[in-house]
Amino acid sequence: MPRNSSVTPVMATIAVATMLLSAAVAPAQPREQRAARATTPVLAKEIAVRTWSNGLRVIVWPDHDVPNVAMITIYKVGSRNERPGITGISHFFEHMMFNGSKNYPSGDYDRLLEAAGGSNNAYTTENVTAYQNWIPKGALETIFRLEADRICCLSLDSTSVESERGVVYSERRTTTDNNNESFLDEQVQAAAYTAHPYGFPVIGWPSDIERWSRQDLQDYFRTNYAPNNATMVFAGDVTPEEIFALVARHLEPIPAQPPPPVIRTVEPPQQGERRVIVRRPGQVPFIQVVFHAGRANDADVEALDLLSTILTGGESSRLYRRLVDRDQVAIGIYDYTLRGFDPGLYRILVTVSPDKGVEACESALFDELARVGRDGVTAAELKKAKNVSVANFWRRMATIDGKAATLADAQVFRGDWRDAFAAPDRYARVTTRDIQALAKRLFDEKNRTIGILVPENEPVAATAKGGAR
Amino acid sequence: MMIRRVVGFMLLVAALLSGVTAAPRAGAQSIRLPEIRDITLPNGARILLAERHEVPLIALNAYVRGGSLTDPEGKEGIASLTAEMLRKGAGKRSAEQIAEAVDGVGGAFATGAGMEGFYVSGEFMKSDADLMIDLVKSVLRNPTFPDSEFVKLRSQSVDGILALKDDPGNVYRAYGGSYFYGAHPYGRPGGGDESTLAALTRDDALRCYRDQFGADRLILVVVGDFTVSSMEPRLRAAFGGWGKAASALPPVPEPERVGGRRVLLVDKPDATQTYFWIGNRGVSAVDSDRDVLDVANTAFGGTFGSLLNTAMRIKSGLTYGASCRLQRFSVGGSVGIGSFTKNESTQQAIDLALETLRAFRAAGLEPARLSSARNYINGQFPTDLETAGQLAGQLAVNAFYGLGNEEITGYPARIAAVDSAAVRRAVARVYPPDSDLVLVMVGNAAKVRTVAKRYGPVTEIALARPMIQALRDARQRSRPTAR
Repeated sequence: MPRNSSVTPVMATIAVATMLLSAAVAPAQPREQRAARATTPVLAKEIAVRTWSNGLRVIVWPDHDVPNVAMITIYKVGSRNERPGITGISHFFEHMMFNGSKNYPSGDYDRLLEAAGGSNNAYTTENVTAYQNWIPKGALETIFRLEADRICCLSLDSTSVESERGVVYSERRTTTDNNNESFLDEQVQAAAYTAHPYGFPVIGWPSDIERWSRQDLQDYFRTNYAPNNATMVFAGDVTPEEIFALVARHLEPIPAQPPPPVIRTVEPPQQGERRVIVRRPGQVPFIQVVFHAGRANDADVEALDLLSTILTGGESSRLYRRLVDRDQVAIGIYDYTLRGFDPGLYRILVTVSPDKGVEACESALFDELARVGRDGVTAAELKKAKNVSVANFWRRMATIDGKAATLADAQVFRGDWRDAFAAPDRYARVTTRDIQALAKRLFDEKNRTIGILVPENEPVAATAKGGAR
Repeated sequence: MMIRRVVGFMLLVAALLSGVTAAPRAGAQSIRLPEIRDITLPNGARILLAERHEVPLIALNAYVRGGSLTDPEGKEGIASLTAEMLRKGAGKRSAEQIAEAVDGVGGAFATGAGMEGFYVSGEFMKSDADLMIDLVKSVLRNPTFPDSEFVKLRSQSVDGILALKDDPGNVYRAYGGSYFYGAHPYGRPGGGDESTLAALTRDDALRCYRDQFGADRLILVVVGDFTVSSMEPRLRAAFGGWGKAASALPPVPEPERVGGRRVLLVDKPDATQTYFWIGNRGVSAVDSDRDVLDVANTAFGGTFGSLLNTAMRIKSGLTYGASCRLQRFSVGGSVGIGSFTKNESTQQAIDLALETLRAFRAAGLEPARLSSARNYINGQFPTDLETAGQLAGQLAVNAFYGLGNEEITGYPARIAAVDSAAVRRAVARVYPPDSDLVLVMVGNAAKVRTVAKRYGPVTEIALARPMIQALRDARQRSRPTAR
């Protein structure tokens, strides 16, 4: 079946967090690539990189295990580049990229790609917009024609804009408005930022979805969809020579544009706890806590990944053991890190057991977080977290898709694809002391925003356990 | 993060609620399988082994025939709880020690129940192969079912259902399938419901384990970075001495096609969208037209550019996604369209889905669509077998349904050979005509009740009610009006 799947915003962001984590872990530290080859055969194949005259950067990782190619194109534009009135436009634009260009009318992108045996998907985050294609090798020429036409000459005709507005509103209703956890997620993120655009929801506020104009889209395209704002990665059954020849023919002629405006706003330091209460129909309460954290290339990225595993990774993790297993105040818990070009958030999401209520759950949660800062973590816990990182790395290396995403993340968020292989030293160096210091700083009461979803039940009969007859 | 696509929506929940779903997709121009060692032990356990050395990982997939089908009436959910209990204490390890052992080495390990089988799956670094074997052996052969863990799990399972129901997108397909199957065993929600779960005891789990678990039910597949010559004796030693399950598998009749129309309206008063499922009887996992139907359904509702998604999303903007799924079990299955739209456009969207279905039945596939679907399946297939875990999963499902390696290796050629006459025949046989439809709508009943009545006799239940009893009541009420 198609690999396309719907992911709630929250779940999807976890995928990104994992991606970043894995991108930064490798089992052996290659000082140069040749050294890596001896110990890690999977990495042995030659990776080639080229930046073209129009600023487009292209990375190729040949891997001939399957006759397919995974391709990812990342534009450095996301909801952080928006402003009030056009929130959600980056994500809307992601949709519009499939709705017709000069030589290929709406519907052709998917029609022609599928006919050539390929599939695609795309996603938008606070930081970037990414387009993914999974194709049999024979579809390379097709995909280059389609990509070049839409980067060069997107149509943005008004019929498509109006129709796609309906699609995106349906997406918002599906992922946010009819999902209590995502709804809370949106409110908490908005409260955590008073100034920086990371406070905007990626899907956009409803009023903006209803009102953005074709002119807004045209401006946005010109500014952000230039080759100099893009990174393209290919992994699979290709050679750098054939990819570079296709780039030269199809993409190099597309001119560069002036770089997008720099995001000037810096979030002022938080001075005290913030609290958000949302009351909505439902049966199950949620608690979310976010803490201001760092950028994707900060020095403590690895420590935070490891801390995250120690807190929520699996049924042996601290928070699972305490909240779900021992106190039984929660039925599920996970976390993710919003991490990008500007200081992001570390976020913990708890599905509260309806019987126990939020107070007991909240106090157990903060008790555990304080304990990490006070007493630190054990060497065994740290070792476990490092093992998880290594295994996850190999899981990503098992597919061409994982390889492409790993390189793309390293290039875009840490400025160099080689970082994907250079990080293990940083992970290996993390000590229990580093984790404790980070926890102490991060989990400061003044640094947190708490959101609580209080379910308000309409009096429908027999909703409680065992109450139905 | 926002994602563009919604086709294939909810696979995870579908797996949890509906169990072992459709047969594997297979295909691509040149599928080379590694050598597969396929043995059956004297006690009936079947073991398949294959080496894959690209990365230092080992994947394991085990099925034990049985699953939710074996739930006694009134004890729906016991198979699922029993399977989850396997990793809550086994051999000398407590639940906590099992979790610690898995997480400590960065492993993945899961147990659960599908409609037709219990499963254990795992993925570990090659250096942890012994641990993996020891875990799978002890959870299958020596689970301890600690009472405190059972009580905890039961309570969490009830809460989990409540949480799922807070978003209709999680559950509407399950309601669709269950309402279609009616009293047939495939209609059971695998996880039970709030009410049946609450009444289950540890003794029920012990009974389920004793009756349904044994070597004669086992299919165990291990693929990855090991040598068959060293893995085989270890698995023989682990499972050679296991006895047989105490009871026989229950007989399962072929599901019947629903004649006439029936509509179920599941009320969620605060919903701003209507989620709907339109379907009827489909085919089994071993149906002789299964490859033809892969092509047909890919074109109709399996891809982004499919007929359904083109009509309902790309051209009309009515929804974020529309798709059609074939759910295929051993002796039958369902075919169901799923989509959702805002309350106000409910009628327009359902009408369009029905119109698209009618046109598909009437006209089949035009040559360009047919060839596109064939290319798409064969073009994507190699990446469905890329990892050890994917291959192990595929081999296990094939073994489960009694299909050989040819199911995979011969698939590309079979797909490439699907022609429009075969598609037309299969479509006419499998996709329901306008006159015989089950429609399930989950949404705000006050807003869409009138619309629902346009499509046939309507039965209404509340989403908040436990599903099994509510559906049973609905069947009682709808019986006189069904043809």
